[in-house]
Amino acid sequence: MRALIADCREMVAEQIEYRELLRQMTGRDLRVRYKQAVMGFGWAIFMPLVNTVLFSVIFTRVASIDTPVAYPLFAFCGLWVWNSFESALRFSVNSLTSNSNLVSKVYFPREIFPFSAILVSLVDFAVGSLVLITLMIWYHVPAGVNLLWLPIVLVVHFVFTAAVALVLALANLFYRDVKYLFEVMIKVWMFAAPVVYPVDRVEGTLGLLLRLNPMTPILEAYRSVLLLNSPPPAALGAAAALALLAFVGAWLMFHRLEFRFAEYI
Amino acid sequence: MTPAVVFDDVSKKFRRGERHDSLRDLVPALFSRAWRRRRADALGDQEFWAVRDVSFAVSSGEGLAIIGPNGAGKSTILKLLSRILKPTRGACAVHGRVGALIEVAAGFHPDLTGRENVFLQGAIMGMTRPEIVRRFDEIVEFASLEQFVDTPVKRYSSGMNARLGFSIAAHLNPDVLIIDEILSVGDMQFQQKCIDRLISFKSQGAAIVFVSHNLQAVASYFDRGLLMDQGHCRCIGSASEAVAAYASAAAGRKTVASHARAGIVSVSLRDRNDAVVSEAAPGDELSLIVTYRFSGDRTHNLIFGMYVTDSGMGTRLYNASAGDLGLRWTPPPGPGQVTIKFRFRVNLLRGAYHINAHVSDPLIHECLDRREPAAYVTVHEDFSVQGSTNLDVRCTVLASEPGSSDIDEPVTVGDTREAHD
Repeated sequence: MRALIADCREMVAEQIEYRELLRQMTGRDLRVRYKQAVMGFGWAIFMPLVNTVLFSVIFTRVASIDTPVAYPLFAFCGLWVWNSFESALRFSVNSLTSNSNLVSKVYFPREIFPFSAILVSLVDFAVGSLVLITLMIWYHVPAGVNLLWLPIVLVVHFVFTAAVALVLALANLFYRDVKYLFEVMIKVWMFAAPVVYPVDRVEGTLGLLLRLNPMTPILEAYRSVLLLNSPPPAALGAAAALALLAFVGAWLMFHRLEFRFAEYI
Repeated sequence: MTPAVVFDDVSKKFRRGERHDSLRDLVPALFSRAWRRRRADALGDQEFWAVRDVSFAVSSGEGLAIIGPNGAGKSTILKLLSRILKPTRGACAVHGRVGALIEVAAGFHPDLTGRENVFLQGAIMGMTRPEIVRRFDEIVEFASLEQFVDTPVKRYSSGMNARLGFSIAAHLNPDVLIIDEILSVGDMQFQQKCIDRLISFKSQGAAIVFVSHNLQAVASYFDRGLLMDQGHCRCIGSASEAVAAYASAAAGRKTVASHARAGIVSVSLRDRNDAVVSEAAPGDELSLIVTYRFSGDRTHNLIFGMYVTDSGMGTRLYNASAGDLGLRWTPPPGPGQVTIKFRFRVNLLRGAYHINAHVSDPLIHECLDRREPAAYVTVHEDFSVQGSTNLDVRCTVLASEPGSSDIDEPVTVGDTREAHD
């Protein structure tokens, strides 16, 4: 136990020592991503917008479903959150292997790679929020006092993202199958969460499974807080506890295996 | 005062070859890797010691050079020191700020400009932003890249890349500097600048650990030397002692144990009349006739070569393979033999030389068989020119002024051979 605490202290101290590097890496990834790309940050909102239109057609014209707010608003909110989750993980999966030269030649805390991938996705998330705000104004969604919950929801969301990102980056370094498996997993996962349809009325084993998904309360919390002016669901508490536990566990595992990266990459 | 670098009885184990782990083992393997204690001392299947029981310490203001043949464990030591690898056994401690130049431009991103990369690489090496801002102009000036600072690094030449990389590292002001063969980058002028920089670091109290194949630089710029061979420390002492030990070890290992894949069957040195010789005069034409055998196993990887060394110092004067020399010959499949004739002119001066033959596989960095010496040749000459190679210099007087006190009498020499001793 004492060793674990010492490790945690070392991990945090290293992050503070190398904070400039985290900033530079994030800046590098942002610049490189949008260099020679005409639309620049437009790409951050393009994907969720296209998907919103697509699912709006499906779920209002083909098979209409009941949503608590106008469907496009409902869907964009879900897709905006999911898109940032997915892109953070996609960049993290390859973050160590695509920087193999750095991993095998220079020492610094390797967590920087997945962490900077997450920070990049946070920037995309902020850009995407502009579209959400526009849609909220368009659909006359009033701003309520429950918006104060937003920072907490955001923290739970990104702590959970970081936990998954660390595990994926680590696993892909040792087993390159992970990045292929990830593509399958993320598709299934998206439809197992209330991204483009509400899951609160789903019954039985399937309903239970959907509610066990940690992303379910996170997505529902965003919608409650932003669109419905109501407090987040109680399940967010459980998701927060799980996210924190998973994050600390994943980081510890990452940290303890870090020194083998140069040999295995 | 505690030494800046302490390497205490360190061993490092590596695995050879590929691992074939299946995804099924993924989760249990990750957990067991994180929490299991490994048997430190036993060598498993496919494992080998890259570094074995090596100890040394370097104090502030001291320079240690690590020398040795390829695969001796030199770079592993540097990676252990810079915390990229963790020792299997033993302890390695470095006190103070570490500047590790294992590969100077490792952090560069090709799409970013020189300026952006200075900030990135600086951060990778552990500099803070204000520090980089303060030293930015110095860094660019040292690398002489003022005009290219806003050009993407992908348009840089490899020399420019290396210069910028070294320059960033040189402005880190580390307490301990770890360098892997840095002097091979850049032109002569830049190399001199690097050496000057290292010396000034050292005089300011930095400890330097340096890997090099440049024995001359090692002997002249470093205080201490460590000779590594196959993971073991063979000699630790003054830099010149280590260099001498390296030279004598190389001389002692003249014949490699003959390998099953390929070997040398016979060698002879002949003159133009096909007579076996051991003496020659400058300008003579000789032939080294070597018969090699091969088993048929990866024969296309083999190179068949010859080289010439000075018999006293063992200095390699010439080295070439049949392929380098333009021989177009592909070995037939299966086992066989080939006899190759290397014809050459003796552009050597008076002295004793070894003419040697080897067969190697460059892909595995292994010399499969070597005959050293395969033949001796003593070169006789009857005029006094010193050195080892015959450059066939001709000299003539272009102008001479009568009455000048410096020149007593004009001499005209058409050929060096006319100046008898």
